[in-house]
Amino acid sequence: MRVLARLNRFYWKYKRLFIPGLLAAVVSASFAIVVPMVVRMSVDSIPRFVTLYKSFQGTPVADALYAEFFVSLLFFGIVIIVLSLLSGVFSFLMRQTVVVASRHIEYDLRNQLYDHLQNLSHDFYLRHATGDLITHATSDIEQIRRYIGPAVMYTARAVVIIITAMTAMFIISPQLTWYALIPMPILAVSVFFVAHMVHSRSDALQQQYSVLTSRVQEAFAGIRVLKAYVREEMEAAAFEDESRVYRDRSLDLARVEAAWRPIFLILVGSASIIVVWIGGKLVMEGAVTIGNIAEYIIYVALMTWPVAAMGFVISMVQRAATSMDRLCKILDVEPSIVDGDQTDTTIDRITGAIRFENVTYRYETDGAIVLKNVDFDVRAGTTLAIVGRTGAGKTTLVEMIPRLLDPSEGTILIDGFDVRTIPVDVLRGSIGYVPQEVFLFSDSIADNIAFGNMDADSAAIETAAREADLLDNIQDFPDGFETFVGERGITLSGGQKQRTSISRALIRNPNILILDDALSAVDVNTERTILQHLRRHFGKRTIIIVSHRISAVQDADHILVLDDGEVAEAGTHDLLLSMNGIYASLHRKQLLEAELEAIE
Amino acid sequence: MSKGASTEKKGIDGQLLRRIITYLLPYKGWVALAFVFVMTAAFLGPLKPKLVQITVDRDILTGDLEGLQQMIMLLFGILVIEGVLAFVNAYLTQWIGQRAIYDLRTKVYRHIQRQPLRFFDRTPVGKLITRTTSDVESLSQVLSAGVVTIMGDLFKLIFISYFMFTLSWVLAVVTLAVMPLMLIATFWFKKKVREQYRETRKQVARLNSFLQEHVTGMRIVQIFSREREEMRRFTEINDLHRQAHIKTIFYFALFWPIIDIVATTALGLIIWFGGLNAMSGTLTLGVLIAFIQYARQFFEPIRNLSDQFNTLQSAMAGAERIFDLLDFDESLKESEDPVRLEKLFGRIEFQNVWFSYNPDADPEDEEAEWVLKDVSFSIDPGQSLAIVGATGAGKTTIISLLLRFYDVQSGTILVDGTDVKDLLLTDLRNQIGLVLQDVFLFSGSVEHNITLDNSEITSKQVIAAAEAIGAAGFINRLPRRYGHEVRERGMSLSHGQRQLLSFARALVYDPAILVLDEATSSVDTETEEVIQRALEKLMEGRTTVAIAHRLSTVQHANQILVMHRGEVRERGSHQQLLAQDGLYRRLYELQYREQEQSVSA
Repeated sequence: MRVLARLNRFYWKYKRLFIPGLLAAVVSASFAIVVPMVVRMSVDSIPRFVTLYKSFQGTPVADALYAEFFVSLLFFGIVIIVLSLLSGVFSFLMRQTVVVASRHIEYDLRNQLYDHLQNLSHDFYLRHATGDLITHATSDIEQIRRYIGPAVMYTARAVVIIITAMTAMFIISPQLTWYALIPMPILAVSVFFVAHMVHSRSDALQQQYSVLTSRVQEAFAGIRVLKAYVREEMEAAAFEDESRVYRDRSLDLARVEAAWRPIFLILVGSASIIVVWIGGKLVMEGAVTIGNIAEYIIYVALMTWPVAAMGFVISMVQRAATSMDRLCKILDVEPSIVDGDQTDTTIDRITGAIRFENVTYRYETDGAIVLKNVDFDVRAGTTLAIVGRTGAGKTTLVEMIPRLLDPSEGTILIDGFDVRTIPVDVLRGSIGYVPQEVFLFSDSIADNIAFGNMDADSAAIETAAREADLLDNIQDFPDGFETFVGERGITLSGGQKQRTSISRALIRNPNILILDDALSAVDVNTERTILQHLRRHFGKRTIIIVSHRISAVQDADHILVLDDGEVAEAGTHDLLLSMNGIYASLHRKQLLEAELEAIE
Repeated sequence: MSKGASTEKKGIDGQLLRRIITYLLPYKGWVALAFVFVMTAAFLGPLKPKLVQITVDRDILTGDLEGLQQMIMLLFGILVIEGVLAFVNAYLTQWIGQRAIYDLRTKVYRHIQRQPLRFFDRTPVGKLITRTTSDVESLSQVLSAGVVTIMGDLFKLIFISYFMFTLSWVLAVVTLAVMPLMLIATFWFKKKVREQYRETRKQVARLNSFLQEHVTGMRIVQIFSREREEMRRFTEINDLHRQAHIKTIFYFALFWPIIDIVATTALGLIIWFGGLNAMSGTLTLGVLIAFIQYARQFFEPIRNLSDQFNTLQSAMAGAERIFDLLDFDESLKESEDPVRLEKLFGRIEFQNVWFSYNPDADPEDEEAEWVLKDVSFSIDPGQSLAIVGATGAGKTTIISLLLRFYDVQSGTILVDGTDVKDLLLTDLRNQIGLVLQDVFLFSGSVEHNITLDNSEITSKQVIAAAEAIGAAGFINRLPRRYGHEVRERGMSLSHGQRQLLSFARALVYDPAILVLDEATSSVDTETEEVIQRALEKLMEGRTTVAIAHRLSTVQHANQILVMHRGEVRERGSHQQLLAQDGLYRRLYELQYREQEQSVSA
């Protein structure tokens, strides 16, 4: 529960909404509570008037009395309507302030969470599933909001109504009040327990829903195996079992949910019956009037919701606390790769000389080694190529240059500075990175390219697209650069996506360009064109190419062959060929492949 | 999506609704019972104010304590019955509904599963999941509470009106006079809220997809130092999301007070008219008190009805999608008069097979995209065939056709001399063991992955198979051995281990024909040896068709088929083909020679 105290600053921040809102809650409740009193007065006035009227029947006074009565009853009626109108206006104001404030706080919290997520480094995302993070940003924050807004509002309103109604009732008849209120605490307690059961059971139901979903997902994704082994019948039976569990959980939930109506019905109904019963007896004794009975019936009805709300509020607070707990676990993670004391703020640009000194990397402290004692030196303006099998550590190696990862041991130097001392913005600002797995945003092609450089004008976007050999494709699209990419737009081919990703890196005009297997989905001719474009910046830009294809790497100044996390061979193309090792055999195979490709 | 939206506009389609309701037919006795309960409850609710009126006028005002107490007992009795009925009803309708939903879900699932692979090639798995889960779910309200509750609420309104009119027609008319206001307010509110919900849902979806995209692509955001700009965009979307909700709050803030005001207006009018009537001696105080209660009772059924209207509407879209799916059945035709083969010998023959993934491809049309062109071959029982070729040569298609995942456009596939189309699918596939290179493991225990839940296979057989294959070693090192849970498509096992599991799976089923799609990715030498021994064991005495990536497989094959662009280009034994110096020679250099080096080294 204590974690919820972290939200208190928000109440303070939005005090201009909360204070008037809570006042409105009080005022609205006060008006509502007067209505039953007026009803009582009018009901009680009726027999008096009737007796009076009858005793003057036949005289001219009777007409005057009727007129008088007509007006006063009309007056009572109007007062009742006006009171409820006033109460309504304030209850409107209450919702418009308190609930609105809760939406503001929700907004603030979500911004805070997203801002924090942006600062967390790559290793955090390796440890957390995307789905979980999105749940935190949506449903957990929603739970917290319910506590902030509705729960606070209901409490304020409930307290006012319960206290004032009880006061009014006690003044009239303490005896009748005690009896009438007997069901109320039971109501609050049962609401709390039922709400609690409903929540735990609906969580259980939700869980089974995911089980059911993943069962379906697996069966349909593995349909080949199921069909080949004639397991359809068994799988259908297994699905039916899960489906049956789901049905039973639904019914578990239905059983407690079915309790809602009877609880309200019986407790509220018995309160009214008690009023008629005890009230009736008291009327016979002359202690209260018939009007009081009508008044009490309305009081009891008025109190029902506030009393029940107290039960709901307690369970809302519990849920909010759990959600807040989960959220804090994320918010309290310290970002590991950010500028700090070690940062040398005088470094404001880098030229691109890269040096790895005995770099070793493992994912966890005692985890398996991904890179081992990698050592190399790249002069600014030259090209380094890295080849090797899948899983050899190529991606991990290049991810360390823009500090997506920091080495476990060893040092990486850029322009002679330890990368950890270079301001992150300066470092990443000088790097154009094309990741192995292309990731584009659902946005226009132009925006996706300009993602690399916000200040880029359309001429710059076009240049970048031309350098990545993408311009012709874009011009063929009906909407050109404004063509939308992603689910709601067109589907780009793998090669087009890669080239967009390359344009995005090129538009930064970076001093270091990293291509992590970035040409795998384009054909050999396109690859050649792109490489030719890149060569124009020769001497001014450090290029790092990771590739499977010899054709992409053979012209590099220096080639590293990684095997199992270690540098197995290094040198120029000719040197490596003459070594007749991994590189040479790779080269041979690719020549053969090309030959096979050519056979018609 | 667009389909769903159009349905929402159309409103409620009677025909569709009737079709949904047919799923209640198996439970019609229970539905009738629920109906009786609901009607009883609909009567008992409005009866109470009437009884209160009687006791006020007859007992309280005359001082008849005994009469009052009798009436109170009666009221309590009614209340308890009403409470019990409310509980039983709510549960009973859910009980019926969940059963009907279960039936529907099973039907949808089985329908999908029965479809041929062509259907799965075309339909994304996500769509199929939606049909079986959330679309079915959207009908649950209609099938459970829907019909019965609507009737109950309608009758409740009728009973309330009936009691009001018998008590005092003047006050009844006065009370009913404000009801249109309440109806208008409720339906106006529901309409506005529905519109607003649509907007809110849109904003929620935008927010979620932004988050989804940016959390997934956070590396890109960070590498390109776009944090500030993306924060700005997030704030913008978050702001629109907030505004949509705040607008919704407005309607709620307006609605509840309005309902209260309308109800209180009825109260005010009742007091005014009631008082005047009392004056003329036509109305008693008890009647007045009863009316105060009726004015409040009226609202609940109205609100329920408008809720039901909404659920009906939203169910329509889901129902339409489900029925579209169910109405379209393309499952492979089973032979009317199937040939039953007790036990296969394992002779396989392809005769001039032409195949295209486009089912309508015309055998005469040379231009159609043929994946296989005039492919013929035959394998004698117990012999092995290795299929080699570059990617896209049509190797996988051959094994898919053998399992009759697809039907051929032209030519015949014979097993033991019988056309596969004349065999029952079960009989055919039961005799074939398939081992795919992308080993698909299901979440569940190791044992479950070997038996695939076939209860005829005993644990002893599983262990024997694992030992014969050489998988027992690593399985015994797992924390819970054969009970070890394989997670998310087998991610907790290495590639080689997954291969071995799939071999054990094939062995335990003891098929006459073995179909192998060998993995391309290499494993370490030690595992490679284990796998090769396992393969030898597996192929023993079985007809084998292998898409070969292992040197040992091609070397030991009785026959090698060299595929290129859908055609058989070369065939023969390893030595014969090598001597030819053709396509095979080059493939050998590319794929297999290195293995020779590493084996000899």
